[in-house]
Amino acid sequence: MADVTLTNVRKQFGTFVALENLDIEIKSGEFVALLGPSGCGKSTTLRMLAGLEFPTSGDISIDGRVVNDVAPGKRDIAMVFQSYALYPHMSVAENIAYPLKKRGVSAADRKVAVQKAAELLQLEPLLDRKPKQLSGGQQQRVALGRALVREPKVFLLDEPLSNLDAKLRSYMRAELIELHRRLGKTMIYVTHDQLEAMTMANRIAVMHGGKLQQFDTPDAVYNRPANRFVASFIGTPSMNQLEGQLDGALFHVAGHSIPLDRTRFADDLGTGDYALGVRPEFVAIGDGELPAKIRLVENTGHEQIVTLELTDGTRLLARTDAARRLDVGQNVQIGFHPDAIHLFAPGEEGPRLNKNDAASVIPMRSR
Amino acid sequence: MIATQTITPRLERSYARLGVLLIAPTILVFSLVIVYPLLAAIYLSVFSIYTPTLEGNFVGAANYVKLLTGKAFWNSLGVTLIWTVGTLTLQIVFGVGMALLLHQNIWFRSLARSLVLFPYFLSTVVAVLVWRWLFNDLYGAMNHGLMQLGILDLPLDWLGSMPNAMIGVILVGAWKYFPFVVIAVLARLQTIPEHLYEAAKIDGAGPIARFWDVTLPQLRNVLVVIVLLRAIWDFKEFDLIYLLTGGGPVTSTQTLSLLVYQEAFGLNQMGQAAAYSVGMMLVMLVFMVVYIRKTGKEG
Repeated sequence: MADVTLTNVRKQFGTFVALENLDIEIKSGEFVALLGPSGCGKSTTLRMLAGLEFPTSGDISIDGRVVNDVAPGKRDIAMVFQSYALYPHMSVAENIAYPLKKRGVSAADRKVAVQKAAELLQLEPLLDRKPKQLSGGQQQRVALGRALVREPKVFLLDEPLSNLDAKLRSYMRAELIELHRRLGKTMIYVTHDQLEAMTMANRIAVMHGGKLQQFDTPDAVYNRPANRFVASFIGTPSMNQLEGQLDGALFHVAGHSIPLDRTRFADDLGTGDYALGVRPEFVAIGDGELPAKIRLVENTGHEQIVTLELTDGTRLLARTDAARRLDVGQNVQIGFHPDAIHLFAPGEEGPRLNKNDAASVIPMRSR
Repeated sequence: MIATQTITPRLERSYARLGVLLIAPTILVFSLVIVYPLLAAIYLSVFSIYTPTLEGNFVGAANYVKLLTGKAFWNSLGVTLIWTVGTLTLQIVFGVGMALLLHQNIWFRSLARSLVLFPYFLSTVVAVLVWRWLFNDLYGAMNHGLMQLGILDLPLDWLGSMPNAMIGVILVGAWKYFPFVVIAVLARLQTIPEHLYEAAKIDGAGPIARFWDVTLPQLRNVLVVIVLLRAIWDFKEFDLIYLLTGGGPVTSTQTLSLLVYQEAFGLNQMGQAAAYSVGMMLVMLVFMVVYIRKTGKEG
């Protein structure tokens, strides 16, 4: 078990800046997800932790030791690759035993360790097979076995589930959570899938454009997103963000005014352009003053995602019960749950301007 | 259902006819240039024939008896095996080494990659003439250079004495054909997933362990094919050796191909030459069977 710290880490490939001033402190035993769209720098971060890339500047430390110049094999980390990267000519048992072999562990001890890993991951019947003869899920488990066999301080996982089909993915997700609980090791998990990050991680580092946007619990990144990027990236469908003008306690959008509870927002907000954010589940159809037209109704079985259009053409989404009868083309009045409104500064990464104590955690049913 | 049952076979029959039609030219050419000469060689091998007139008489298995009891065939088979094993080993060692080097991010990599193919593309006649000049005992650059460096005191007779002649032939063969190994190995190297190396690094494997545990196993299949193909080609190599030493001194570099040629056009014994070539073909059949079994398994 070990703390992992990145201090002011910067990574440049030629003139391209992949990561800027990254500061992350991961506590021992934590399950942390690095989440973001492709090209956000999350994989580069993981590869630097593994020692496969080196920071242009800044320090990486594992368990209090700066490892900038330490070779991957000497960092006491293990990594699971998206492609699994199993050695194709070796059997499952040989694959799992390989890191021990390279560290001079005796054949007898290797056998015991492989047996233990195989039991944990239910790989016993497969030990003599070659990777080619295994399904994706089985290969994934072998890769995990190879990672955990030598009991490293830190596990690094690079989109390990993205090559699996949806059903297997949700099964392996549960397996990984269970594995983390049993081993209690520090795990750092790269993914672009917010569902994986939200369900598995203790804390999520949301990244975008080489910068850390927010590093907090799943609950916090969902309910108290640090900025507009996090607000739009986390949640499916994502948060509605309406651009408008703030004037005192009124937010003007599409020719109408939405009254705001100013005590929930920073006190020094002046008049001007802002973005109002509200999650689809807090948009009430038929309860409010904002006129809108229903453009699309998507019924997923247990709920409906309704696309609404305001009078100026701005579109937003609402989430309602599947039982509710809504027709495309219907004119409705909509409103927002007052405690669920976020206010953001303009710009793609405009920061959230709610007061921190104003936690917008509202039970779904109260909308 | 009934309709499709009657239609499908008719359609299949017409496809089959088209298939036969398309394959016919190949079979025809194959028969003319491979099957006919093969059968003709076997036919000739039971005659004693004087090459210039192509006249002779039936001698039954006499040519084969001479093949089995005489020294010439076995001597040449030994020479052929030494040449094949020697030159092939060097080709593989240099070829794999060069491929590994050219796979690195070195300066002028693309230029080096093209230059390395040069010996392979060069006409054998031209290449051998240059090498003969280099090897020449009186005015050759090789002796000159080695004497300048102080490695040799006196000029060495490179191609006129043993074992120098065999070493010379093997070296020139390796130089001429190692680019083939480079191309094939380099192509394979580029398809080895980088993740395997990264996984091995994290698992604690150093550069040498990574070569043995990742690179070499990945090269295994391509090396099997290269070794078999090159073994077949080197086994029947003619022009390079003929031009370089002519089989000499005496018969010490006379491979089976050269023996057949010598027998047919030097000694004018076409029948005996045909018997030698049939014997040679039987030896090569062993390589062929291994090759077909190895590559067939892949498919």
